[in-house]
Amino acid sequence: MGDSEQPFTLSVSDAELEALQRKLELARLPDEVDGAGWDYGVPLADVKRLLARWQNGFDWRAAEATVNKLPQFTRQVEVEGFGELNIHYVHQKSTVKNAIPLLFVHGWPGHFLEVEKLLPLLTAASPDHPSFHVVALSLPCFGFSDAPAKPGFNGAKYVETCNNLMLALGYNEYVVQGGDWGSFIARRLASTYGNQSVKAFHTNFPNVQVPPSLWKNPQQFFAHAVTPYTAAERAGIERTQWFLTKGCGYSHEQKTQPQTLGYALADSPVALLAWIYEKLVQWTDGYPWEDDEVLTWISVYWFSKPGPAASVRIYYETVVSNEHPKIPTSTIPCGLSFFPKEIIVPPKTWARTIGNVVFESEHQSGGHFAAHEKPEELAADVRAMFGKGGPAFGVVSGRVGYD
Amino acid sequence: MSDTEKAFQINVSDADIEFLHKKLELTRFPDELDEAGWNYGAPLADVRRLVARWKDGYDWRKVEAEINAIPQFTRDIDVDGFGTLNIHYIHQKSSVATAVPLLFVHGWPGHFLEVRKMLPILTAASPDHPSFHVVALSLPGYGFSEAPKKKGFRGLQYAEVANKLMLALGYNEYVVQGGDWGYYISKLIVAEYGTKTVKAWHTNMPVAGPPSVWTHPGQFLLFLVKPFTAAERAGFGHSQTFQKKGNGYFMEQSTQPQTVGYSLADSPAGLLAWIYEKLVRCTDSYAWEDDEVLTWISVYWFSRAGPAASVRIYYEVIQDDPGALRMAKYSPIPLGLSFFPKEPVVVPRLWARTLGNVVFEAEHERGGHFAAHERPEDLAGDLRKMFGKGGPAYGVVPGKDGYVGRDARL
Repeated sequence: MGDSEQPFTLSVSDAELEALQRKLELARLPDEVDGAGWDYGVPLADVKRLLARWQNGFDWRAAEATVNKLPQFTRQVEVEGFGELNIHYVHQKSTVKNAIPLLFVHGWPGHFLEVEKLLPLLTAASPDHPSFHVVALSLPCFGFSDAPAKPGFNGAKYVETCNNLMLALGYNEYVVQGGDWGSFIARRLASTYGNQSVKAFHTNFPNVQVPPSLWKNPQQFFAHAVTPYTAAERAGIERTQWFLTKGCGYSHEQKTQPQTLGYALADSPVALLAWIYEKLVQWTDGYPWEDDEVLTWISVYWFSKPGPAASVRIYYETVVSNEHPKIPTSTIPCGLSFFPKEIIVPPKTWARTIGNVVFESEHQSGGHFAAHEKPEELAADVRAMFGKGGPAFGVVSGRVGYD
Repeated sequence: MSDTEKAFQINVSDADIEFLHKKLELTRFPDELDEAGWNYGAPLADVRRLVARWKDGYDWRKVEAEINAIPQFTRDIDVDGFGTLNIHYIHQKSSVATAVPLLFVHGWPGHFLEVRKMLPILTAASPDHPSFHVVALSLPGYGFSEAPKKKGFRGLQYAEVANKLMLALGYNEYVVQGGDWGYYISKLIVAEYGTKTVKAWHTNMPVAGPPSVWTHPGQFLLFLVKPFTAAERAGFGHSQTFQKKGNGYFMEQSTQPQTVGYSLADSPAGLLAWIYEKLVRCTDSYAWEDDEVLTWISVYWFSRAGPAASVRIYYEVIQDDPGALRMAKYSPIPLGLSFFPKEPVVVPRLWARTLGNVVFEAEHERGGHFAAHERPEDLAGDLRKMFGKGGPAYGVVPGKDGYVGRDARL
């Protein structure tokens, strides 16, 4: 396959911007029950304020220019059964020639821009910590990548896309970092290509919802049997309970009727804003979102190449393919970072069943969007895992992260 | 309470109609996967076609005039702790003075017009079957009723509104029919007011768990030994599919109603798809006509409180008590059940019988969730059988047996 890489500059047309403005002008808002707060969902006052800013004050062209400071590209990636998909990605190389190739994988409602704050940290050169060449793609159906046209684009296909992209970039061996669907994909990259192209992975979303079993994880099973939960673990169980009972409505709809939901997400910027903003707030740890920051995030969905409705299909396809809840494990080194306001916060003995866990880090604050909320902490964890003296030092032959 | 009843005609403003058209013109559609069919949700071709018709060709004013031929009213109903709500309702009396007063309670995504096709049947006078005075309200937050402003408006509050409405209309004793939330609210009306004001109830959506040995020992023993019928097994499969694939709306509406409310309020196409999916999935190959669908959706779009208010009932009831729908406080008042095969929640007969003093059962070969709309003759026929001469609930309302004649004791 010839090199189809093209540099990419985000440039939303004036027509699209104007169409958005016209919709915002015609926005019709619901009422709200007195004193609702966040109990019923996104508060009306927040939506009104964000809507007003979106109409007047939020400068998409300025946001776009900031996005375009990131080195972005597109290229054709072949996916078996689906032909070629045009994939958009950030690719920032380090000045360190032997930097470790790292693939950053986002989730829903995330996107490639979640890597933004990590980039300078991960690509920085220093004798004190390793450096990385970072690739952050827009997953198929998200951001500025294509969406497949046919049913059946499941986890295995996402994994194939990611691996083919890294290989096309000349990274025959690499490591992976991901949260949310990025965690699911990282774990499947490990089980599919572990010890081949994929050498290690790190996740900030240890999505394990069952305790260790005697047969599969005897060591963790016994540890679990005799070790009392810490206060943090008990809090994590409660947080997980909240998510599974109160925070999962979106997931139930997305995994069963993504198209039905898609009409509102495609047609109404306010609907899209509320649907995503709810997660930006509920899944983070008191993160002080600025209005323009939120609007940039939502705009990436609004202006995405396949449209926002496509982004929720991953829920459906992976469920229909029976890819949940069991994800096969791998022997390659795995690192976990625990953030207290993540949406699934398992006790350590449960989390360790994810794989060959060689690195753990527990944080006192932070939530689901760790790369965005806690970039220094997350970068420090990744550096510690892969740096000199770290448990995954030198996993990629010839690229130890230092010159 | 003074009589605040006013005659009501739907009269959507020109500005509102124009506004809808402006929004429809700006509709931005999603893509769709090849050959998705109904697998992923409401198909794009359907939604495109319906939006195009809604924009051009569908005549709301004509439809409005037709609806306004049905006698409608509003009146203020005081609800303990919630102040006064202005409630909209159909009230169609029979020519038979001693007709049986019947309250029809809709659900979601239903509305007051679900009773429409049954009205001429139920109110018809004949020596061969009973006649009814029919009241069909818009539940608070639906149609042209006000929505409550405060938190905590739950099942008992809906039941209170319904009961007070009937009393305000002079129906000190009445019977009630409901499906969907109408089933749940009817059950509460019976639990709260049974034998005082409510004399019998009927539902086409009985929701119950298996009999417990503690509360229904007789049914429990039968439950252990009696095999399910073919229809019941088919019903299980049907219900399971619905639970697995059709419950997303329920999970969202019962946890984050405001969040989904923005979609329903702001996007006509979004509202259309959200409801249309249920209109098709939950019916039994009912041949929906486009204008019929658009009228249904328009009632939501133009509703007094806006469509977002309609989904709050899920949150208020389920957050208060996740097991509320299965709760069965036994009442001795007569209960009638009609089983339609494509109802999304189909329970075996034994389970349904735990809901109360079941005196009437009917099983149908065709029909689904919106029975009053899909199978009006069947449902109205069941009510006639239940309440007619020789029927198990004949004469439950003293002095109002549904027939012209001697039995007009007041």
